[in-house]
Amino acid sequence: MASKLQQERRAEFKRYKEDVAKEGKPFFPYAILHDTIMSLVVVAVIIGLAVIWKYTNQGTDVGVLGPLSTAKADPGTTNFVPRPDWFFYFLFYLLRIFKWPETVVLGTVGVPTLLLVLLIGLPFFDRRPERAILRRPVAFVAAILVVISMGVLTWKGATAKEALGSETVSLVPKWANEQGFADNKVAVAGATLFAESGCLNCHTYLGTGSSNLGAPNLSDEGAKGRGIAWQVAHLKNPSSKTPGSPMPSFAALGDENLTKIATFLEASKGPQK
Amino acid sequence: MAKSARQAQIEQAALYPLDWVEERTGLVGYTKWFLFRNVPGDVNWMQTLGAATLTAFIVQATTGVFLAMYYKPDPNSAYESVQHITHEVTLGWLVRGMHKWGASLFIILMFLHMARTFLFGAYKYPRELNWIIGVLLLVTGMAEGFTGYLLPWDQTAYWATVVGININATAPIAGPFIAQFLQGGSQIGPDTLAKFYSLHMLIIPGGLMALIGLHMYLVVRLGVTSPPWSPKAAGRPRDEPAPTGYGDYRQGLIREHREEHAQEDGA
Repeated sequence: MASKLQQERRAEFKRYKEDVAKEGKPFFPYAILHDTIMSLVVVAVIIGLAVIWKYTNQGTDVGVLGPLSTAKADPGTTNFVPRPDWFFYFLFYLLRIFKWPETVVLGTVGVPTLLLVLLIGLPFFDRRPERAILRRPVAFVAAILVVISMGVLTWKGATAKEALGSETVSLVPKWANEQGFADNKVAVAGATLFAESGCLNCHTYLGTGSSNLGAPNLSDEGAKGRGIAWQVAHLKNPSSKTPGSPMPSFAALGDENLTKIATFLEASKGPQK
Repeated sequence: MAKSARQAQIEQAALYPLDWVEERTGLVGYTKWFLFRNVPGDVNWMQTLGAATLTAFIVQATTGVFLAMYYKPDPNSAYESVQHITHEVTLGWLVRGMHKWGASLFIILMFLHMARTFLFGAYKYPRELNWIIGVLLLVTGMAEGFTGYLLPWDQTAYWATVVGININATAPIAGPFIAQFLQGGSQIGPDTLAKFYSLHMLIIPGGLMALIGLHMYLVVRLGVTSPPWSPKAAGRPRDEPAPTGYGDYRQGLIREHREEHAQEDGA
């Protein structure tokens, strides 16, 4: 027993088949002509981008489409910018919205899974035969919202400011004064390593840094009383201390340097004002 | 005009190989079914986006094969082999550049093609499954982008992947296992690179090709939709007027030919 909707849909598709058989045109040579023109445009654009990319990268100048390569991967240097390819920017920037570490999983898994389920399920909850977009108000508004939010997130991800080690190092004396660890040589050395190692690409410290991936503000990390041993173990293997942490291991810096950073973190008890 | 015996003989000789293949495979019939199927006369330029995406994929597959001839998936030589491709191999820069930029274009075209399908309501009955295959293609295509990003083995590639894998690990239940599998060790190293290389050039492209085949089979089987605003949209009852509110709709691409022919016929 077919429902009214089913009968209607079947009748429409039957009409469609008849109309196409009667009034349509063969794919070859008609539609394939336009497909071929479009395909040639695509290939031309790809070659054009490759040529611009190569020829604007002459000598030491970085071209308009970015460098040919950055330096060879080095697990030892941790002064990195955790930035994916551009088409993941919207997911990457989404994570900044979730400030509390406990809610990051909503950004990494929750929202993408929900979007995927909605996308896959679309033909099953939008079952009306109507195809004209102006007579599908819900679909129309939803599509506009999705396009705007993905566009904004991609744009924000692309223009997100990166904390450069060379710039943040100059802030170390200011930090030492505000936190009152200027006399502690090991902590100052740790602060320098902290500034150079890219920590501020995710964490914030006294108003500097990026707050990515739910990374906490470390301005008063020392007030939590976790101790140097805990800090070192955490830097070596973050998820052993904070399950589910997306932070990479900094074990490559070596025990001596990690102890310096840990001393610095433990000396950071919030601004001494 | 009657054919001479000689002409008929030549024709038969020329067609013999085709008949031979057809008798044994049916491939000639399938090709005819694919090429000479009817599409609505009012199809639109936007409906070439699927073919455009396919072209971008073919560019990726072709340039990828050539890159694989020179690339070495080992942390000690990956970076150097990419530099070799970029600076020394004849036209290596072009092949690598096309692969790099073709990837972005492939993703952009997939999104545009999906937007067109959404705008036309072309995911509705009976094309639901083809929409789902399309979503799977989008996800698989992005996985291809993720695995390919590590291969140049420069700082950008390396640290983007470190964070990508760590984000993967935060997912509940399967997350840590997937991350462990991808990384294949305590740190991103030789095992990770070899795994990403294998995924990037065997498993994921294989999956993409299978899905694309299925996607195109369903397109041919179910047919291409007319733009919903077309005055002569295939499937709409002829006594029902076209939806208003679109202003001056553009005439379909093929319809114009039809009308010219109709006039010629009438004259």
